[in-house]
Amino acid sequence: MTEKLNRFLQVPMGTETIYIEEAYKHRQANEELGKLFTSWGYLPVETPVFDFFDIYQDFIPALKDIYRLIDREGDLLMLRSDITLFLAKQMGLSLKETDLPVRICYSGTILRHQNREDISKNEFFQTGVELIGKEDSNADLEILMLLNSTFNSLEIKPIVHIGSRKLLNASVSDFNNSDKKQIMSMISYRNFENLKNKLKEKNDKERIDFLTNLFQFIGTPEELKTLIDSSEKVIIKEELTAINDLILIMESLSKLNVDSDFIIDLSEVGNQSYYTGIVFQGYIEGVDSAVVSGGRYDNLLGQFGFEAPSVGFSLLLRKVENQLGKKFSLPDHENIDDKNFIDAYRKAEKIRKNGRIAIL
Amino acid sequence: MIQKSSEPLSLALPKGRLMEDVKNFFEQKGLDFSFDNRKLVSYDKSGNLKIFLVKNSDLPTYVNHGIAGLGICGSDVLYESGYKFFNLMTFEFGGTSMCIAGMKGQKQNNDERKLSVATKFTKFTSDYFHKKGIPVEIIKLNGSVELAPVLGLTPYIVDLVETGSTLKANNLEVLEKLEDIKVHLIANPAYYKLHYKSIKKIVSILKG
Repeated sequence: MTEKLNRFLQVPMGTETIYIEEAYKHRQANEELGKLFTSWGYLPVETPVFDFFDIYQDFIPALKDIYRLIDREGDLLMLRSDITLFLAKQMGLSLKETDLPVRICYSGTILRHQNREDISKNEFFQTGVELIGKEDSNADLEILMLLNSTFNSLEIKPIVHIGSRKLLNASVSDFNNSDKKQIMSMISYRNFENLKNKLKEKNDKERIDFLTNLFQFIGTPEELKTLIDSSEKVIIKEELTAINDLILIMESLSKLNVDSDFIIDLSEVGNQSYYTGIVFQGYIEGVDSAVVSGGRYDNLLGQFGFEAPSVGFSLLLRKVENQLGKKFSLPDHENIDDKNFIDAYRKAEKIRKNGRIAIL
Repeated sequence: MIQKSSEPLSLALPKGRLMEDVKNFFEQKGLDFSFDNRKLVSYDKSGNLKIFLVKNSDLPTYVNHGIAGLGICGSDVLYESGYKFFNLMTFEFGGTSMCIAGMKGQKQNNDERKLSVATKFTKFTSDYFHKKGIPVEIIKLNGSVELAPVLGLTPYIVDLVETGSTLKANNLEVLEKLEDIKVHLIANPAYYKLHYKSIKKIVSILKG
């Protein structure tokens, strides 16, 4: 028996079981978000759970985290590790120019390998939205405001750090793709000593100092303006445009009295190669890594055959579930212990009519 | 006097060889701390830091899970953990080097098909030699690595070398220095994003 029990106790890495109260919370939160997204006109889309591996290969940041399998024809498949990616292909296949703009939402499980010793990442469930076919900053704002509403409806208070891939692209346009990848990793891990050395290859001292300072920046629009004003001589036009776009978005957010914390953080350059405009990640006290990430990716759908600009976010719902508001908790229930089933049944019906739980 | 912020930042420090250096360094910067007998949690004098003592090799785990937001740790241990952190500063103290060593007088034999090495640092060793295109056979040991060549487990070892006196005492010598090992102040990325203001303050005190 112990041998058998042992076999049952082991679970494949990257899977989890959720029990009663937790599962209730999860379902409530997911339903609440579904309702919210629908009320903004974002309609649900479902993607397959597995697909051919080769078409996504270039977009996967850590190949070793992917579950791969071989089908009967001998093709290599992968299990869904990021809904945004699978969605890009689906959308590329089914959308027509005349459909645009399209607002979609999704929610589902994802599978990523996690080390046996490192099971608390909770990257099991992704829920999010995408606005396809709108290029302007209004679309960016819509997504950020919807993100704000998402936090409100879950009753959580993350801080969102917003940066700009457009800015990064402008600053390192003379580097090739593999160098650019290295630079992005240095910036997002705030490894500014290495960044300085790398930038030396193509920049003079003034530019190096400016860029190193710039990508370290975290702060308010006013503080960013001060930084820019003092660097008038070294900044290039494309950088200025990208920064002004970002400042404009932040100013609009404050005009809209957004109640979540949004802050400019130029070291947010996006962990995926496909971002092109704003990029952001949300962090919450007591959670070990970002709970939400998103941004603008105007070239991703094009990679799957349909050119359309796109902006969206995705939330790792399981990561925030122990911080959700009270309304998501399992409500109290009443046990009816009347021996007579008919009486008990009537009592229970009454209680249920009042919106409470009655158990026979 | 350093002002106290509202919530202290959490910092994990490694028990063992670095502890005295860290303590002295923090004292110089006005961040004195001490641990009561056998206690593993303490606060610094200014109340800005909540300090945990953890086993050196467990430190990256605590910081990765955000239990401690900050940590001080050698790049050897960080590399073995495989986790990614923000590197906020590099300290002058505690530097050492990762070396390959073998019995005295025995030259590194390039004709050998496979390099056979005993080490605590298995990830570093395999990555280092694979990057150079050298096949390597690794035996994992948890301590007293110097014994491996002496007793004939493997001809070579990869280990930290500070003064080289342990090597000498066992009739071993460094064949090649593989990498400089430095001590870093690291942060959990999400923790940094949430507390960047107070972290910046502490870093500037430490750098100042």
